[in-house]
Amino acid sequence: MTTPVVIGVGMMPFGKHPERTIVDMGAEVARAALLDAGLAPTDIDMGFFSNVLAGRLFGDATIGQNVLWEVGVNRIPVVNVENACTSGGTAFMLACNAIKAGEAEAVMVVGSEKTAVPQLGLINSGQTELDTQLGLVAPAGFALRACRHMADYGTTLEQLALVAVKNRRHGSLNPAAMYRQLTSVEEVLSSPMIVDPLTRLQCCPNADGAAAVVVASPARARRAGLLPGDPRWVSVRAALLATGSYENPQDLLRWETDYRAAALAYERAGLGPADVDVVELHDAFTIGEIIHCEALGLCPPGEGGLLVQSGATTLGGRVPVNVSGGLLSRGHPTGATGVAQLVELVQQLRGQAGARQVEGAKIGLAQCMGGDKSGDTKSCTMVVLGR
Amino acid sequence: MASPGSIRPVATGVFTMPPDDTTAPHLLGGACDRGHGPFFPRPTYCPRCLDPVHEVDLGGHGTIYSYTVVRTRPPLGFPQPYAVGYIDLEEYPLRVFCLLDPTCLDELKIGRRLRLRVGPFGDDGSGEPLLRPLFTVAEEEG
Repeated sequence: MTTPVVIGVGMMPFGKHPERTIVDMGAEVARAALLDAGLAPTDIDMGFFSNVLAGRLFGDATIGQNVLWEVGVNRIPVVNVENACTSGGTAFMLACNAIKAGEAEAVMVVGSEKTAVPQLGLINSGQTELDTQLGLVAPAGFALRACRHMADYGTTLEQLALVAVKNRRHGSLNPAAMYRQLTSVEEVLSSPMIVDPLTRLQCCPNADGAAAVVVASPARARRAGLLPGDPRWVSVRAALLATGSYENPQDLLRWETDYRAAALAYERAGLGPADVDVVELHDAFTIGEIIHCEALGLCPPGEGGLLVQSGATTLGGRVPVNVSGGLLSRGHPTGATGVAQLVELVQQLRGQAGARQVEGAKIGLAQCMGGDKSGDTKSCTMVVLGR
Repeated sequence: MASPGSIRPVATGVFTMPPDDTTAPHLLGGACDRGHGPFFPRPTYCPRCLDPVHEVDLGGHGTIYSYTVVRTRPPLGFPQPYAVGYIDLEEYPLRVFCLLDPTCLDELKIGRRLRLRVGPFGDDGSGEPLLRPLFTVAEEEG
């Protein structure tokens, strides 16, 4: 089986960029990824573009072609991907599948999104869905889990806040993060209540931004001048997408899909939780990081609050989580997030992460989750990268 | 204000429309003749065997499994704040997501018994009011 290799990454600082467009941000990171890979535009033979909200917010469609043509990537298959928060991870999975199938040798994946706009209210899973019509906004879905996690496992408000404090500390070390100022448990808990018990600083900020990666077959990576064993030879050990199911009554203490996807990712990558050096996961809300750490096997179920409190997931700890700052500090331009997670892991595995470098990182895992449905999730992506 | 009788329900087949104020509304689900379900909301086909489904009366009482209060940017003309939760129904082992009565926030807690009511609540996104189901605190028995 072909093992795809990530040979180029492109990133820009996330934040409020009212003067930028989805296309020009996407073009900036696509160009950076091409230059990083040492490839010409004509070397790319397939493209995947992820975006979630431009159709609704701006009336745009099929933006991937607009982005890729800006950087001379044309005449090739281009696919636009929408899968809520996992759009970027889904696009990457499709790119890897194309390489494994022998349909492409070098594939560009770009995610670009603008959500720092006034017309965006609290995000939901789909406007016409019954749950949405009955008031299920995204933070409420997570808050309902937080309430139950606190009741059943004794998870505390302080532990929830510590996720935000940790990821802000990490974000302070990342030039691409939207929020770089440190915060405290007191400041997090005294920020305005959004959805009980989640305060504003426990909710990821809307942001504008873009990220890109170039993934290639091993043969193409060699022709680009890389060799297995080089720090820049970052191989894709697993890249998968799972979807939820209708099970009722649904257990809100966990997403079954999260556990199932994690188990499959570890199986495909031929390793386990103890082998992972650095994790990027979907901390759209603080409780999300706590529950996802449990699903990834970084701690037993129910002990995600204790895990963050122990310092194990802080830079320098046993298994640093969201050293980029995560969605909470880097910001969450929805369609770009999944790709930005991969850019962070590649920089970590290459040893190029500067002040937030996890020493000697060899295995990185990215997890993302998108869309509520029937108390489960519509999509969950897992990517394992190694060198 | 328009009387409830002239206001559209948020969706059809989700709850019974009470003929008068003294009849309690019930939630509606669906099940197939092979005994799969009931499911909520009612699916078009049974997701297990693909048979057609018939309507099932799910009753109008349940207890809170989890709840929360949304305090900012209410959608669909909802009041600020408003409450939502997952309710474990009494008559079937189903956990359903629903609006909760925003006038009894102080009385909400996990395990609290609630009853369904239906009334004008919020709009369709363009200002037209809609009937929505919401669970409110059940009267103490006895």
